Amino acid sequence: MEISLLGTEILLATLGFLALVTGLLPGRAKSITGSMSLAGLLLILVYTIAHFGEEASLFQGIYLVDNFAAYFKMLFLTATLLVSLGAGRYLERFENKKSEFYSLMVFATLGMVIMASAGDFITLYVGLELMTVSFYILTAFLLRDGLSTEAGLKYLVLGAASSAILLFGISLVMAYTGTTVIGATAARLMTEPAVVAGIVLLAAGFAFKISVIPFHMWTPDIYQGAPTPVTNYLSVASKAAAFAAMVRVFMVAVDAAPGLTLSWNLILAILAALTIIVGNLIALVQEDIKRLLAYSSIAQAGYILAGLAAANAYGLKGVLFYALLYVFCNTGAFIIATAVEVDSGSTAIEAFRGLSKRSPALAAIMTICLLSLAGIPPLAGFVGKFYLFAGAIQQGYLWLALIGLIMSMVSVYYYLNVSRVMYIEKAGKQEPVKGSGAFRLALWVCALAAIFLGCYPAPLSNLAQQAIQLFL
Amino acid sequence: MESLFINLSQAFTAWLMSLGLSAGWADALLLAVQWTCIVAIVTLNITILIWLERRVSSFFQERLGPNRVGPLGCFQTVADALKLLTKEDIVPSAADKLIFKTAPALFIIVAVMLYAVIPMGDGMQVVDLNVGLFYFISIGSLSTICLFMAGWGSNNKWSLMGALRAVAQMITYEIPLAFSLLGIVMITGSLRLSEIVEAQSGVWFIILQPVAFLVYFIAATAELNRGPFDMPEAEQELTGGAYTEYTGMRWALFFLAEYTNLVAVSALMSTVFLGGWQGPWLPSWIWIIIKTYLVMMVFFWVKWTFPRIRMDQLMSFSWKFLIPVSLGNILFTGAGIYFCKWMGWC
Amino acid sequence: MSTAAANLQLQDAVFVMIAIVTTGAALGVVFLRNIVHNALCLVLTFLGVAAVYFQLNAGFIGLVQILVYAGAISVLIIFAIMLVMDKEINQTNLPIPSLGRRIAGVYITALLVITLVLAIYFTAWPLATGAGAPFDAVGMLAELMLGDYVIAFEAAAVLLLVAVVGAVILAKGVEKQ
Repeated sequence: MEISLLGTEILLATLGFLALVTGLLPGRAKSITGSMSLAGLLLILVYTIAHFGEEASLFQGIYLVDNFAAYFKMLFLTATLLVSLGAGRYLERFENKKSEFYSLMVFATLGMVIMASAGDFITLYVGLELMTVSFYILTAFLLRDGLSTEAGLKYLVLGAASSAILLFGISLVMAYTGTTVIGATAARLMTEPAVVAGIVLLAAGFAFKISVIPFHMWTPDIYQGAPTPVTNYLSVASKAAAFAAMVRVFMVAVDAAPGLTLSWNLILAILAALTIIVGNLIALVQEDIKRLLAYSSIAQAGYILAGLAAANAYGLKGVLFYALLYVFCNTGAFIIATAVEVDSGSTAIEAFRGLSKRSPALAAIMTICLLSLAGIPPLAGFVGKFYLFAGAIQQGYLWLALIGLIMSMVSVYYYLNVSRVMYIEKAGKQEPVKGSGAFRLALWVCALAAIFLGCYPAPLSNLAQQAIQLFL
Repeated sequence: MESLFINLSQAFTAWLMSLGLSAGWADALLLAVQWTCIVAIVTLNITILIWLERRVSSFFQERLGPNRVGPLGCFQTVADALKLLTKEDIVPSAADKLIFKTAPALFIIVAVMLYAVIPMGDGMQVVDLNVGLFYFISIGSLSTICLFMAGWGSNNKWSLMGALRAVAQMITYEIPLAFSLLGIVMITGSLRLSEIVEAQSGVWFIILQPVAFLVYFIAATAELNRGPFDMPEAEQELTGGAYTEYTGMRWALFFLAEYTNLVAVSALMSTVFLGGWQGPWLPSWIWIIIKTYLVMMVFFWVKWTFPRIRMDQLMSFSWKFLIPVSLGNILFTGAGIYFCKWMGWC
Repeated sequence: MSTAAANLQLQDAVFVMIAIVTTGAALGVVFLRNIVHNALCLVLTFLGVAAVYFQLNAGFIGLVQILVYAGAISVLIIFAIMLVMDKEINQTNLPIPSLGRRIAGVYITALLVITLVLAIYFTAWPLATGAGAPFDAVGMLAELMLGDYVIAFEAAAVLLLVAVVGAVILAKGVEKQ
């Protein structure tokens, strides 16, 4: 076995340990943790990109190195990198725990990477837990802030419950098929009550992680309470990881099972429709930027789920494409929200008043990111939604595409409301919002990616096409 | 002499089967008899042990010790036991009664269960489990719960403090306890105690694994709540810890269980580190008794030599010293095994 | 009656006994009002599960269950109870939830339990063929854990590290300046 096939995982684990250890250095020496982590993440990202296209099935299908996994690994690493870069001055709130912050971020990424590559349920579950446990801690990272602690506890309790549901589903499927390898279950799955129950529980477990209605209750409170960079990371990366695992499980095991007649597409389509509708409607009345983005992220998860429900080339390509552009757009919005929070000490949308006068660039980038999330052409969100809805229509779910379209229109209202506050209302303060070079770099990357992917989607679209090839 | 007990049990089974019982029932009855014997021997042995410890401790402290009842005071414990049996059994009115009453019984049950896997001679084992060593560790871990039940059920602050200390201490020392034995499992490649004994026919594991022996000895002292790690009882500060509210027979059961644990751990140490029942001239079951008593004497020696150490020192000693050392021992053993294989020695 | 059939009946009887104790203890975990009694019932539940493992000839897993769950996890739970306990030792009862919540809880639980029980009952389970697991399965487990499942194994190690780091961060609290 080539050890380089596991390069991303091994390097990430090493980086996580290094970040922990450098945090123990005395005095100012420990401040290298941040730059070292960023450099390391960049290096690992480059390594992963360079190894795109490698195909291998390790340990008899228990661990898979393929384009699909590689695509998601790049996505996670990009997200980690952007979030860490954009956290900027928010990190000062972590006081003497900065190195632990980086280390936990890296370990969470490792968990996601393992989830994306996992070829069997046990590995998948351990990866999921590694990611989730890191997030429990990161969510409660602001020890002085009661909201953060509360969010951490809530996430722990609900996360444990959802893990239990997922495990119960896995155990039913495993009890029936006698194997934990996802690829081997397909041939043995039959239409039996216990199998159906197992698959439903599996779907419910994943649905919790991607906050699909009716498993979304945790999202707003936890998104609001968690430190803003963590919320950002939670919304883009943990969702993508859950989608990666879900796509693999449903496409490899459930969809390909010859003996199983279960209209899982329809169930997911209904869930997606519900999620899109409820998420967008509740987002309309939010007055806190983090809660707004939380409900918006619920709605976005609904769009992506529509692609999985379609389960065809367009739909799956849409899932991958959208997941990545969602990283850029949502991170862009969150980075600015973080900067404004640091500046004003508030997460209310009111805090954005007159941002266009104070920092025109920030206001412009925020508008671009939000419009992209709403799916306005020529931004990236439009292309992503185009793939997703095209997939749904091809599968015969015209109603789903219509719901998605109408609710996208509705979403423009609350996204533009933020812009209205930034451009029309008057600012209390006049001086520009401060930000470091890293922060600006992350912002520009997000904004340019949102525009570039919208105008010229072909390269990423091709990449996504290659990644999903194994499911078709 | 060597196979005295084995012949006895075979004769017993044969007799039962001649009475018309099936093989399964005969085995079950034999098992019952074996357990009865174990409990009886353990109980009777305690009277000797307590007398021995009191004599030994008085020797260390240059005083006389029990010397009135019988020659050298050897019937003193018998008298004490009779006294304990007739004492009033007080259950505090504020106690959590069910928990208070079951705790001592469970404690002794757990302690006796440890004997199931110890080879008390060549082929003299109640069950030769394939995971015998692991059985010993994991059943032993249950005694933590019993102590907690005692401390909680008494509804007394000293009891609760004692129980908390005991629980913290035992859960901390379980880690080096288990890790220290891993080196031996790595060498023998088995968790079966009979195979571990056989593997020592050449050289005892105390020679190959001296660090593991020391770590195990220290951790076992803490697991047994014996001095210098007897914080949970700590008469001077906690007036007896978890046992404060217990009287009469229930208190005696705790005492009995502690000594039962001590004998079991000593027997395991002789089995795992000192070659078990193997030895020249004498029958195997005499050898294990000699070795067990020797190990127990060391326990006595340590207890009556060192002063009790502080709770925080106790915890940091395990986490910061014993656990790293036992982990290092595992690493070193692994490297050693590889080196041996590479050199072609094994 | 043949010996094999009698043996099977004995096995069934033992299983039913274990099941009754385990389920009863599990119900005790949920319904008893004293939180320490809940914890002790949890220990009993863990032991019952271990007994099921023993009956299935999975001795090693059963012992792991005892060592890790009954011996360690439950003790940690007890510690947590002690640390967050109210002044009065015997007044650690949980607040009684409102009637509406109780009804909702009972309804959802009953729905889930009935659905799953029916689903499991009406499934034609493919029974294992062949000799089953060998009694000495420890070596096999080791090979699997350090062989095919090595990534999950290593990831679990990282997971534990993360949990320890997190516990230290959260337990140490805010440092005074």
